[in-house]
Amino acid sequence: MAKGQVFDLSVKASLENLQKIRQYIDHAGELLGVSESALGDLRLVVDEAVTNVILHGYGELEGTVELHMEGEDDAVTIRIRDRAETFNPSQVKKPQLDTALKDRPFGGMGIFLIKKMTDEAEFLPIPGGGNEIRLVKRGAILPK
Amino acid sequence: MGTLNIMVGQAQGNVPVTILRVEGDIDAATHKSLQDKAAEVVEGGATHILLDLGAVNYMGSAGFRAIHAMTNMLSDEASSELSKSPYLKLLNPTEAVARVIKTLGFDVYLDIYQDRDEAVGSF
Repeated sequence: MAKGQVFDLSVKASLENLQKIRQYIDHAGELLGVSESALGDLRLVVDEAVTNVILHGYGELEGTVELHMEGEDDAVTIRIRDRAETFNPSQVKKPQLDTALKDRPFGGMGIFLIKKMTDEAEFLPIPGGGNEIRLVKRGAILPK
Repeated sequence: MGTLNIMVGQAQGNVPVTILRVEGDIDAATHKSLQDKAAEVVEGGATHILLDLGAVNYMGSAGFRAIHAMTNMLSDEASSELSKSPYLKLLNPTEAVARVIKTLGFDVYLDIYQDRDEAVGSF
C-alpha cells in the first residue's frame, strides 16, 4: 500500500482538549484501519506526549499543538508540533519500576510509555523554535 | 472537556471497604478529581479502598499518579517493602487499562480482581 489518507488537527494547548485529541486519534485510526490494540497504544502515547507539551513545554504560556497522522503500509506515523521551549527527553528520569511504590518518585511515566509503546519516538527541535515529536508504530494497520 | 463521575459505595469484607466506582477517562485534566475524592473518603475514615475501573475507557499516566497518591494516603509509614498494598485494590480494568498497569509495573503493588465480591472479601 502506498501512502494513504492523512489527518491533521490543530488545537489550543489545553488539558481540556485532551479528550478531543484522543477522539481525533480514534477517528483517524478507524479510517486508516488501525487494529484496536495499536489504537489503544497510539491514543495513550499521543495523550502523554501532548500532556507533556502542555504542562512542561508551554507551562503557563498559551500556544497551539498541531497533530498530523498518516498511514503507510502497515505503519502509522504521528507528528506532534508545538512552539514551546526546546524539550530534551533525556533529562527525564525513568520511573523506578523495582522500587516500593511509597519510595517511587512521581513522574517520568509518560516518556517511558511513549518509548515502550512505539517503534520509533524522536524528539526534534524545530529550527526557529518549537519541537516536533515523531512517533511511528509498525504493524498497526490491519491488512485489507 | 471530559468529566469524571465517581460514585462512593460501602461493602463489608473482613474490614469495611469503600468502593470508588469511576466513570469516564482518567487523564491529566481529570485525575485530580479522583485524587480529591479519595482524600475526602480517607479523611472521612476510609482505610481500605476498592477502585472500580470497569467504566474507565482510558487511563494515562495521570491516573497512575492519582493511584500512587492514593496508596500514599492509605499506607502506614513503616511499610516500604516491594509488596502489594493491603489497603488499595483494583477492580475490573479494561484490557487496555490493564496493559498500562502492567507496563508501568503497578501490578506488583496492587491486586487486581475481576469479581467484586471476591475483591471485597480479600480485604
